[in-house]
Amino acid sequence: MMPRWKGKGLQAKANADPMSKIVSQLQSSLIQFETRGLLSSCSVLVEVDAELADLLNRSCFGRPRITAQEDKQWFQLDMEEAFYLCFSLKCLKVIGEDGSIKSNEELWDYFKSKKLVFPVSYKVYSHLRHKNWVVRSGLQYGVDFVAYRHHPALVHSEYAVLALSEGDNDLNGRLRVWSDVHCTVRLCGSVAKTLLTVIVNSNNQVANSPSCLEHYTVEERTITRWNPERSREDQTGPKNGTKKV
Amino acid sequence: MATHIAPLRKLCRFLIEIGALHVLDGNDIHLSLKELYEKLSNGKSGCYWELFEVYKHLRSLGYVVGRHGIPWSVKGQHIKSGTCSLEGSQESNEMLEMEPKDENSVIELFNNMQITDVSPAFNVYLPNSKFRKSSPGDPSFVLYISRCSPPSRVEIEALERKHGAIPFKFCHVENGRVSFFSFAKTELPVLP
Repeated sequence: MMPRWKGKGLQAKANADPMSKIVSQLQSSLIQFETRGLLSSCSVLVEVDAELADLLNRSCFGRPRITAQEDKQWFQLDMEEAFYLCFSLKCLKVIGEDGSIKSNEELWDYFKSKKLVFPVSYKVYSHLRHKNWVVRSGLQYGVDFVAYRHHPALVHSEYAVLALSEGDNDLNGRLRVWSDVHCTVRLCGSVAKTLLTVIVNSNNQVANSPSCLEHYTVEERTITRWNPERSREDQTGPKNGTKKV
Repeated sequence: MATHIAPLRKLCRFLIEIGALHVLDGNDIHLSLKELYEKLSNGKSGCYWELFEVYKHLRSLGYVVGRHGIPWSVKGQHIKSGTCSLEGSQESNEMLEMEPKDENSVIELFNNMQITDVSPAFNVYLPNSKFRKSSPGDPSFVLYISRCSPPSRVEIEALERKHGAIPFKFCHVENGRVSFFSFAKTELPVLP
């Protein structure tokens, strides 16, 4: 599936403003301002000034919270986003209830306690973010994430992502039966996205600390439905398409 | 699996359904479609039904569908064909005809076929006048009929090693609905 840019000139705009650079600027600014996040249930809240708010928006981390406050803005980060900024980019520190800064190990344990599959979902999140894709929650599409080539204002997301693990300890439980494959592929097709499964192999590492992540391996696969009625003329091979049922 | 009951079964059904073949029983009396269905629904024909549905679905759309592991040509000879199946060898003295003129020339297309998740069912070629039985070439894809669950990553990797450059697809049949899925390895590019 080709990327669908939302307007003329937007692809050029995206090319002129690479996501890697925006994220890098975000990283520098967060470090410079010694930004602290507050741990709050399954989110991390950060208070930022206008410049940082702009960078968070442009790099697609977190969601702005509407408040009456004028000089500063609050952003709410998901667990994966927060951990990426803390652990991978090392530009954010998170403070717990007791006011002390949480170490990466403490954050890891905390997020795992909130979400059993956190190690797998984080590995997938960081894997795609490392490649400079924009990764957002895919909950409204019944998947784990949606991946964009650049800012969602410029381009539609191409991939609906499921973070799967393999082996006996698979907690995700998706696509184990055909009805789930049908359902998910159909839903993805109806919103013009390709279903991407990112399969994480823990290689028998126990997820005791975030250092296990570097031993995880990742494989990407797309699952698409082939429509025999639409592929008859293609001499090079069957096209992938969504079958209208 | 039964050997002498299986012959004609699936291809027969297809041809009868499209009115291209009349099946005669032992007394040279035409069997109606209903009688044929009844005959064929007994015994061990259960898993053949899915194979038939898939075969019929693709054939009626014009695809060239052959049984995996069985050669296309050579009439009347006994052929021992090797097969990629992991389920053991299958005897074959069959040939495949695209449009059988009479039931004697119809092969035991589905003889001994079982649906297993490890054994490919069909080689499929696009509807394409370039297809020749004498040199069919590589199929457009190999088709597996899935019985129970979607394939795991490990199973898919094993199949990729087995088939190399030839793509394969999985087919799921339920409630008369035939759906085809591809599980393709990919790698999202690193973006700027």
